[in-house]
Amino acid sequence: MKRAAIAVVAAVGGFAGVLGFNLGGSRAPLLQGATGSNTGSNTGTNPGSSTGSNPPATSSSSSSSSSSSGSPSSPGSTTASGSGTPATGLRSALGNTYQYGYGQLAVRVTVNGSTITKVDTVGLQTAESYSQQIAQQVIPLLRHEVLAAQSARVNGFSGATYTSEAYLYSLQSALDKLHKK
Amino acid sequence: MASIVHTEEVMGTVVSFHADAPGMTEAELAASVTAATALLHGDDETFSLWKPESPLSRLRRGELRLEDAPAEVAEVLDLCEAAGTLSQGWFNAFAMPGGVDPTGLVKGWSLERALAVLVDAGVTSAMLNGGGDVVCHGTPPQGGPWLIGVRHPWRLDALAAVLEVERAIATSGEYERGRHLVDPIGRIGPRPASATVTGPSLTLADALATAVAVGGDDALEVVASLDGYDAYLIRADGSEAATEGIRFSVADPDGRD
Repeated sequence: MKRAAIAVVAAVGGFAGVLGFNLGGSRAPLLQGATGSNTGSNTGTNPGSSTGSNPPATSSSSSSSSSSSGSPSSPGSTTASGSGTPATGLRSALGNTYQYGYGQLAVRVTVNGSTITKVDTVGLQTAESYSQQIAQQVIPLLRHEVLAAQSARVNGFSGATYTSEAYLYSLQSALDKLHKK
Repeated sequence: MASIVHTEEVMGTVVSFHADAPGMTEAELAASVTAATALLHGDDETFSLWKPESPLSRLRRGELRLEDAPAEVAEVLDLCEAAGTLSQGWFNAFAMPGGVDPTGLVKGWSLERALAVLVDAGVTSAMLNGGGDVVCHGTPPQGGPWLIGVRHPWRLDALAAVLEVERAIATSGEYERGRHLVDPIGRIGPRPASATVTGPSLTLADALATAVAVGGDDALEVVASLDGYDAYLIRADGSEAATEGIRFSVADPDGRD
């Protein structure tokens, strides 16, 4: 029952292990998801990170709740002023708000020129019980800081086929909006 | 430099076009995108299982013989057979409830046809994204390989990885539309969370992603044995595996905000 909700949720940042990519390894597991000792964070060293302690997934509900309860201007959203001035080339677009079982959310993508500089969720209203539940899932999740870094320069997004309705709140939708004239 | 971004609702999803063509006018580029979307709609009319009167639906009900159907139907069924062989049975369009079902392959096939329309018209750089299956042509605006984010299966706004892609990338999983995949072989254990396949053909990558999404590590090994194709698997427990040729893009420290 709860699993279905997890499938569509963009939850909160700050509680998760960071994927450690093993570039040389052939078919070796890139991360041992079940151990909780997510030490392979070679992509995750983010000096400016406000949540840089990268705690194990099971012990981080406090940090996740602090960022989830925040409104659109959560700590990581320094580009929250949406209509960035044309002079800097900084623009952001907000996907449609999506209602899910535990609240509502929207994806926002920010670009500088043609480069994605930030991806985050806004309007996120998440029940505290929800973040507890997801924190108990031993799943490698990316911190927003790492996500933003990885999203830079991305040309598109691959994923399981979304419906026409789900497209409206997808990352690809936000990217398309930004590049449309 | 003509440049266009277009989105088209078709095949139950949205197809995004991003295309550049230095040698074309904006009007010529727009016309080529219109022609490409017409082709997508035409293929949808032929293959949709949601439309009871589509040739494929009629074929499945025994109301239409294969030789009387549009030539594309036989072509796609041949491709399904080839994909079944190459996937060693993990993709099997002929073992589906309700009759032959090429759904796991036909979108990739149609997107490649649509891209060919653009390229024939003079487009030099393009990316078509059909609901999460992506085919690229030429060089992206920033140069180098195309960089495609693979969506995190449990988070709408997060990426599990960014991959360097030359041509095609398809991802399959049940996190968007619920349990809809059929395992033709019958593997024990939970379904993978996400299966991504890259390679030179989106038609085959699409089918192979479906195969890995049900076959997990066993199907990953099969993909590893195919020239030019690679797979990236996120298992049900969140652990991951990738074949040798998968190229993870490492975040550029200077790209951080």
